[in-house]
Amino acid sequence: MPAIRNARRILHHLILLLFSAAMAFPFYWMATSALKTNDEIWQFPPTLWPTSPQWGNYLEAWLEAPFWRYLTNSIVVAAVIVVLQAINSAMMAYALTHMRFRMKKAFTAIIMLGYMIPSTAVYLPSYMILAKLNLLDSYAGLILSNCVSVFSIFLIRQAFLQVSHELVEAGQIDGASHLRILGSILVPVARSSFVVLALITFIDHYNNYFWPMLITKNPDLQLVSAGLRSFFVEGGAYGLKWPLIMAASSFTIAPLLVLFLFAQNTIMKSFNMSAGASKG
Amino acid sequence: MTPDMAKEWKALLFTLPAMIPLIIFWIIPLGTIFYLSFTDWDFMSPVKTFVGLDNYLYLFDNPAFYQSLRVTLLFCLGSVIPVMIGGLGLALLLNRSLKGAAWYRTLMFSPWVTPTVAVSIVWSWILEPKVGLANTVLRWFGLDGVGWLQDTKWALAGVLIVTIWKLIGWTMVFYIVALQNVPRELLQAGDLDGAGSWSKLRHITLPLISPTTLFLFIVQTISALQAYDQINVLTQGGPAGSTRTLLYMYYQSAFESFDIGQASSVAVVLVLTCMLLSLVSFAISSKTVHYTS
Repeated sequence: MPAIRNARRILHHLILLLFSAAMAFPFYWMATSALKTNDEIWQFPPTLWPTSPQWGNYLEAWLEAPFWRYLTNSIVVAAVIVVLQAINSAMMAYALTHMRFRMKKAFTAIIMLGYMIPSTAVYLPSYMILAKLNLLDSYAGLILSNCVSVFSIFLIRQAFLQVSHELVEAGQIDGASHLRILGSILVPVARSSFVVLALITFIDHYNNYFWPMLITKNPDLQLVSAGLRSFFVEGGAYGLKWPLIMAASSFTIAPLLVLFLFAQNTIMKSFNMSAGASKG
Repeated sequence: MTPDMAKEWKALLFTLPAMIPLIIFWIIPLGTIFYLSFTDWDFMSPVKTFVGLDNYLYLFDNPAFYQSLRVTLLFCLGSVIPVMIGGLGLALLLNRSLKGAAWYRTLMFSPWVTPTVAVSIVWSWILEPKVGLANTVLRWFGLDGVGWLQDTKWALAGVLIVTIWKLIGWTMVFYIVALQNVPRELLQAGDLDGAGSWSKLRHITLPLISPTTLFLFIVQTISALQAYDQINVLTQGGPAGSTRTLLYMYYQSAFESFDIGQASSVAVVLVLTCMLLSLVSFAISSKTVHYTS
């Protein structure tokens, strides 16, 4: 009965099409609301496409708050955190998988404990520690407090476990140092895990809001989410300038959507890995 | 130095770059939060007086705590269950070799990548009561619009819509991976026995992907307990505490009323809940490895 089969296939596509359209619609609505005049955006019923698109709104929003600085801040901070996490996760994972030492059990326990702690619930004492170290309101504080991730350690450890001990021992007999073995044997094998680490960590920290907002008060140091939020509350005056707020949201979201389009296969493939990593 | 000692030191050197920040920013705070919950500190005074269990007794006697507990429970179940059922449903629809599957997947996954603050701002426009899209759609169907973020009855639902929209694609991708690992022979055997698609789903697929279901349930619950960004942008815990989760209550008593002891006792409740959930997930994943490997 090919007719019934065809009907089912069309229905199947129709459901998926409807769902994907609904999921993506907020992005469309954001980008087109940004093009409306203040009068049009308050018009009922709303228009699907602006009657005369105000492309200048994007420029106006861009100039109204230092978004260039917010974006740079976020990208730089996230990138530095990625590099630090890649380094310390690689070293830690190497020690856990290919070195023998007495403290290994204790360290593994500490890492497991770290995995179980909900980070948001300990923001208060972390804040006090940063205050004691005189690192509040600084990138040093923001970066140091984010420079380790148990998830990243698990991810790299999982990859290093695939490398045989014989290979590492052969390197040691040849007189190569640990750092050299790590750099020339293990890191190349785990390259795809490092790419995943970089992408996930970058997305996480570009999007980060709560912790950076708590510890930085200086507007010059604000990351993009906090900057956008203060534009929403102050500059946008809670809804008096919706088109500008939508324009600002658009260029906050755009870098990530572009990154996602280019890297989506890696990000999706990482799910196999991260499920394994979270299981320790 | 003996060669053994040298070996120990070298290993230590490799672990320190991760170990030091882990101890300073995770382990010490964990101990501190327990300690603070037994004091009456106010953020300013130099002394922290030990008050025993007073903070906990006060907390368990405080109606605001129970309201918050209820909101937290509703928020967790109200986000996790729809996200998981929806994610599984979408994964089942996408699992077959379907033309355009990659496109659908991309569109449905994209919200997960974007900053919660930015998309929550966009949603607060969509949920705007007078001319917002959500109420416009309701009016097409002849219904009255509601005060999504202003009405105590609807505010939590508004926050949940945004949360579910953001996370559904994430669980979908996990389920797609899990479904791909279901052995084809088993499903074909089901076909031979004349099982319909519903009974194959119930008796073959669902049991086989149950480790993924448990894993997702726990991970999602832990992250729901820690949700902050969307609540901060959309409702700030209001109106009248109707979206004030435990985490939000903790944050408000710490950084707005500076009642550190009280805040810490709320944080301890959160910490213990999350740790318990993590322990359950460890126990489960060590029992169910035979499914996944």
